[in-house]
Amino acid sequence: MNLQVLSSQFWSLCLQGVALGFIYVLISLGYTMVYGVLRLINFANSEVFMIGTFATVVAQVGILNNQTNSQPLHGFRLVYTLLFALVFSMLVSGILGVLVELVAYRRLRALGTNRLASLISAIAVSIVLLETTRIITFSRPQTSPRLLDKWSFGEVAGANFRIDTVMVIVSGIIIFFVLDRFVTKTRLGKAIRAVSMSEENSKLMGINLNRVVSLTFFIGGLTTGAAAFFYTTVYETTQFNVGFNLGLAAFTAAVLGGIGNLRGAFYGGIFLGVLEQFASAILGSQWKSVTVFLVLVLVLLLKPNGIFGEAVQQTRT
Amino acid sequence: MSEKILELKNLTMQFGGVTALNAVDLHVNKGEICALIGPNGAGKTTVFNVITGVYQATQGDIFFNGQSILGMKRHKIAQIGLARTFQNVRLWGEMTALENVITATDVHKRSGLPGALLGLPRSRKEEKAGRERAQELLDFMGIGHRSDQLGKNLPYGDQRRLEIARAMGTEPQVLLLDEPAAGFNPAEKVELASLIKKIRDAGYTILLIEHDMSLIMGISDRVAVLDFGIKIADDLPSKVQSDPKVIEAYLGVPADAS
Amino acid sequence: MINLRDKGAAIWENWSRTKRIIFVVIAITIVAFMPYAGEFGPTSFLNTPISSYQAVLVYPIALFVLMGLGLNIVVGKSGLLDLGYVAFFAIGAYTMGIMGTMTSLNTWEILPFGIFFAMLAGLLLGLPALRLRGDYLAIVTLGFGEIVRIVALNLEVTGGPNGVVGVPNPPPILGQKFELDDHAAYFWVILVMILLVIWMVRRFTVRRPGRAWEAIRQDEDVAALMGVNLLVYKLWSFTIGAAVGGAGGVIYASKTMFIAPDMFTFNTSILVLACVVFGGLGNIWGVILGASILGYLPERIRFISNARQLVFGLVLLIIMNVRPDGLLPRKKREKIKQKVVK
Repeated sequence: MNLQVLSSQFWSLCLQGVALGFIYVLISLGYTMVYGVLRLINFANSEVFMIGTFATVVAQVGILNNQTNSQPLHGFRLVYTLLFALVFSMLVSGILGVLVELVAYRRLRALGTNRLASLISAIAVSIVLLETTRIITFSRPQTSPRLLDKWSFGEVAGANFRIDTVMVIVSGIIIFFVLDRFVTKTRLGKAIRAVSMSEENSKLMGINLNRVVSLTFFIGGLTTGAAAFFYTTVYETTQFNVGFNLGLAAFTAAVLGGIGNLRGAFYGGIFLGVLEQFASAILGSQWKSVTVFLVLVLVLLLKPNGIFGEAVQQTRT
Repeated sequence: MSEKILELKNLTMQFGGVTALNAVDLHVNKGEICALIGPNGAGKTTVFNVITGVYQATQGDIFFNGQSILGMKRHKIAQIGLARTFQNVRLWGEMTALENVITATDVHKRSGLPGALLGLPRSRKEEKAGRERAQELLDFMGIGHRSDQLGKNLPYGDQRRLEIARAMGTEPQVLLLDEPAAGFNPAEKVELASLIKKIRDAGYTILLIEHDMSLIMGISDRVAVLDFGIKIADDLPSKVQSDPKVIEAYLGVPADAS
Repeated sequence: MINLRDKGAAIWENWSRTKRIIFVVIAITIVAFMPYAGEFGPTSFLNTPISSYQAVLVYPIALFVLMGLGLNIVVGKSGLLDLGYVAFFAIGAYTMGIMGTMTSLNTWEILPFGIFFAMLAGLLLGLPALRLRGDYLAIVTLGFGEIVRIVALNLEVTGGPNGVVGVPNPPPILGQKFELDDHAAYFWVILVMILLVIWMVRRFTVRRPGRAWEAIRQDEDVAALMGVNLLVYKLWSFTIGAAVGGAGGVIYASKTMFIAPDMFTFNTSILVLACVVFGGLGNIWGVILGASILGYLPERIRFISNARQLVFGLVLLIIMNVRPDGLLPRKKREKIKQKVVK
């Protein structure tokens, strides 16, 4: 147990935790929104993330023709490369999200069958995506070129404000803010909230359920794709099985924040990122998943609906 | 001298900003049929939910046979003698009528898994007794011939009866009936009324929520009226019927407005 | 679509007790001879191209059936979503591995320990987890499955990533040896366990536990209001399921003689879950059918070995969408359930 890091690396761990946390937030939005609308776990979101990371590499290397060992870019070229890769990953993941819904959930929803079947269906799609990628990449990891030169703004109390760390945090805030506005202010956003409150009433009010569902999966895919872009930029590598652990962590974050609750996902993700960094530093990285799990169980024991879940006393319908 | 078998004292139930029940004082005497009425949304089903432990009251207390049951777990409440039916029928649709009731009789059985596994004599005896009692209750409610039919396949009226039979299976002292006559035609309501009286005469105390006035006036010993979570009347049926506050609650205008 | 189960059940109900016993004995005998079907002329088509039928199929399928029956108690009967069932299997296997290599106890003596530790884990996990609403339970169990694997990966006593080597085979019973290629012998051991589990589940189903589980599955809130102690019955379901998983793990470790953390992944949990759902939630025959198909098919198509998992995923996806209630859906037989418990 390395408790010394609590003093020596406190702020550094905080900063890194927040950055990692934002990646979790963006992925967890894919879980929490879908759960809010369908009351189903969007199991394949982890693979949507994984495909998003590959999309980022494809955008950078395949489309924009940067070699994997090329020098970092600068100026205008850097900006449009990053932007393009970001938008590309987001769109790929967004569209993939919609396809996942169509293939895994749509038919079963229409039949109104048991939720376990939907879950298995989603897991099956997840397996298909994972295995296809594994076969195509020959189980080998894929590196992404360092197009962004990782200079630092400087250090404050040991916390290193590197450009990519800052980028993740700032972009994360922006994306979340935009999404929050979308959901509260726009007509489509309100439709999503209406459906998550009451599917029955929404249909009675003339909301096209299927469209709202597809939109929800699309948006979830967009944010997950953004997370994929940030992940690839920071860690510079990806692999066919990168989705599982991140997906599980992000889902945990969604649950922590109260699944179905957008703002809850925000706090849940940040909290989880920071927790993970500290656990990793104090106990060693092999135990971080165990720590996260124990925290999850603890939170659920004390606050069964997550930290921000509905707080009605012992409500059962 | 009638004893209070069930008593709500100063009961308040709040959900976030909404006060569903506001300092309600209500009691039910042993062996009586007490009706709980009020406009929609008055909080009647909430009363049932608080009594049976589905919700935890924000304030106040609930006494059953003089003992406080506030905060008691649902299954324990059923065990000590309070059972209910539901506004919307909630049977175990994929079980037979008989199985629905037998499951309710399980609450007082002493044998559990080990008994079942080992086939102990006590388990067998209880099993037989439970089955017989369940059939008895189905017969009592007039649906004995439905015992082997799945709950979901029963006609609506029989489903409601089954729910009552099931609640009785827990050998309660007090039966809480939530709109037992909903969806019944007048003839069925008359039949149900006499059935409820029969149940009371068999020794049960009944608290019932209903909207049909003639049904209530015909069988109730007392009527309590809720409006917006507040009890506005609690008296003999005839008195309540002519109470101006009650009329206003239902019609929205004072009784003597023209 | 003819419901085979209902037909079979209808026929069964009309038989006298003697007839039934004879049928059961014959059926069990036929199944007991399954390891030899690969060599027996008419059924030799069951042999798969690459691997020997007996070696690779019969015992693994039996193991899947056993695990499926165990998980069925949790998911099928009680409606509890467990995505981490492999944890109990792993605990049983590691109990065998560690005790088998560190003590002088043999497999049969270690078996009760394996079951005990798995049940203990089920209890410890269940106490907090089973109070949670369905989907939360799913993720907690998923996490638990992963945790067990990670712990096994990182502790010295479990051998870390290299696992435990040299796990002993069981000692012979009545002259029947249990060496590495005595596949039939292991099959029979699992078969005995399967029969025990089926018997046990039957006994529960027709009495109070079965009713409680069914009530919980269909509407647990009403069950509580009718006096069913939810936590107690959910815990029973969970721990019994865990016990079965643990037992399977002990035998597994004893046969393969070597265990490592990467044998106990989330994929295995999903595979067992698929067996249960695929066949038809909650009923024994469905689980047997599901496990048989899901255990057999990958071997049959082993020639596309690299794409096996992919094909598995596709098959699962198609089946779930075409037959979401499973191949043999539960159908409560109305008059049939009336066999009075003697």
